[in-house]
Amino acid sequence: VGHPQNLKCVTHNLRKMTCTWDVSPRRRRGQTDFCYTTNDLSPQVCFKTMEKRVEIPVPESSTTVTITTNSIYGTAFATRQFEIHKTDISFVPLTPRILSLTPDFSTSTLNLKWSDNGSAFPYGLDAVWQIQIFRKEGVEKVTYYSKMTHEDVILSWNWTSDMPLECTSHYVKIRCYVNATHFAGPKDWSDWSPVEELPGKDTEPNGNGVFPQDTVLAVGSDVTICCVHEEGQLIQMTYGSQVYPVIHLSSRSSAIRVLNASASDSSGTNVVCSWFEEAIDGTVLFVGYAPDVPQNLSCETSNFLVIKCTWKPGRPSGLYGKRGTNYSLFERISGKNVSCEVNEMNEERVCGFPVLADQKTYNFVLGVFNPIGQTQSSLLVDLFQRVCPKTPEKLTVTAISSTSVHLRWFINGSFAEIRLLCQIEISGDHFERKMHNVSMPGGKFSTYTAQVATLRPYTKYQFRVRCSAADHFWRWSDWSRVEEQTTQEA
Amino acid sequence: MAAADSPSLALQRRDLCSRGIRLAGKMRSDVVELLDTYVERQGLDASVSVAGVEGVPVAAVERWDEQTGTQRVLENLAAYRAFRVLLAEMLEEQREQLGDTDTALGRALASVLLQVSAFTYHLEELLRLESLGLPSEEEESPPPLDPHLGLFERKLRGLRVLRELSQWAVRSARDLRQIAKHSPATSSAPSPAHSP
Repeated sequence: VGHPQNLKCVTHNLRKMTCTWDVSPRRRRGQTDFCYTTNDLSPQVCFKTMEKRVEIPVPESSTTVTITTNSIYGTAFATRQFEIHKTDISFVPLTPRILSLTPDFSTSTLNLKWSDNGSAFPYGLDAVWQIQIFRKEGVEKVTYYSKMTHEDVILSWNWTSDMPLECTSHYVKIRCYVNATHFAGPKDWSDWSPVEELPGKDTEPNGNGVFPQDTVLAVGSDVTICCVHEEGQLIQMTYGSQVYPVIHLSSRSSAIRVLNASASDSSGTNVVCSWFEEAIDGTVLFVGYAPDVPQNLSCETSNFLVIKCTWKPGRPSGLYGKRGTNYSLFERISGKNVSCEVNEMNEERVCGFPVLADQKTYNFVLGVFNPIGQTQSSLLVDLFQRVCPKTPEKLTVTAISSTSVHLRWFINGSFAEIRLLCQIEISGDHFERKMHNVSMPGGKFSTYTAQVATLRPYTKYQFRVRCSAADHFWRWSDWSRVEEQTTQEA
Repeated sequence: MAAADSPSLALQRRDLCSRGIRLAGKMRSDVVELLDTYVERQGLDASVSVAGVEGVPVAAVERWDEQTGTQRVLENLAAYRAFRVLLAEMLEEQREQLGDTDTALGRALASVLLQVSAFTYHLEELLRLESLGLPSEEEESPPPLDPHLGLFERKLRGLRVLRELSQWAVRSARDLRQIAKHSPATSSAPSPAHSP
């Protein structure tokens, strides 16, 4: 009678263990004398306790425990000795505690933070975490692995819900298993942490609405759209013009599941939540594509002041306005970045980049991004090989004789670092068109002249001119305006 | 109150009213056309109810026939000043949401906004003609657009604006016909009792 029994020892941190026992039958008793020795012949340690649990060090191999129960008058009742082997000690990590549960409604993502309590252990260990996320309907179990060091590390983990977080309350709990390979005794999962709740809009008095609100999706996505409504309202939901079967998430929240969403019109796809044919709320989803890789990227300069890059956008993204595709031009050598103002309606896209002093080669990266994705295209350009001068202007004919004329024209741009090749076209009523090529040093916002000889007297001629880079031909400029002139009589 | 009805004043009033009636008629047809385009381009159901949308001048009026001329002009002026703000918001929204695409809808909106502005100026001219003071704009501007309004609600709001505007154009023409007969300050003549 009164013997201590069922001694069990559990460690939470591989250093200390909590031993518990019970005494039958249960009766009012005095203090208990608890003594233990580990096998390295260190002196016995004794102390008195009113509890039936004590915390003592985890032994290297085994511990001998002597428990003496006493009457309330201090006389010994019963003594019992136990031999605790390390294989008898079970290892159950402490219950983890969630530090924070933070929603990002725009991405329907939950961020979970908790401490791994690594400092509790004498050395680094592998830990396995089981995270359970559940709603009123349905649960998701996820396993997360981490390596514990000797310090407390705040672990952070993101989970993206398959539905907007506003739709209904989400609950999270976590538990831990430490893979202490050197520990001989039985190992088990910790208890589950207290549950953390992220309340849904269906718990708020003024939470009614349709979610997600005005979001962007990739074509082909599956999406859950919910309507938070009044208690018990039987609502109908349409996606575009189609009525969808409703899934009840709670008494105030109903949802539809749209699979493989197709591209929406420019004004988006309306999702309407109706009650007795009356639209009570709605949202607009913009279903489009990530930007296509820009095609035929080409860059040139017409005046050595600005480099004009052009490209074809490829497949339209289906997203416009503030959700439209943005372009930026980054030049690797100088590190300069320019954001491009682009008109979505033009078939060809254009972006200007300033010509930089003392830089001949340009390593461009055209960055393309919209809310769904991003891509890029690159181009290495030697500017001197990509000159297409502006159209020659103010073409005039002077010094007119019977067999020759002088032509003068102006080109807007700074070509002082190159030679220009200009082509003069001579045409008239009674003879074939002739081309006269002339090369000259380029100038800075200069006027250029050339003589055209071997003309016929008293003959009407039409002249026009175009120019290009002489050394590295890239493209002709456009033709200048035609200038008409009759040569002098002989 | 306005001076006794001199022949030239009556003539000017009738001229202003007849030009206003023509403008209201043109506005009406353009708004009806715009309505169809708007419903189609915004992917809305033409029969959708917008009763819950607030902040838009309502054309329906009780005891329309008992209104004085001044009341008619002042109520018209308040409404069209509000529509001027509301249409400008819709145009801005259109640019923000769709950028350069759907310029047809943008142009149609801009055209109606222009007509609403012209009609507002017209009503102000009518009040000046009758030496009736112009109410200040601040008192009458509609509540600013709630920035948190979702896109779908903005679409419904746009629909309500256009529906009410198309009704106002009808009411305005009838109001101007009444005013053309009498100086705004006098009570209007009896006429068949039903509101537009």
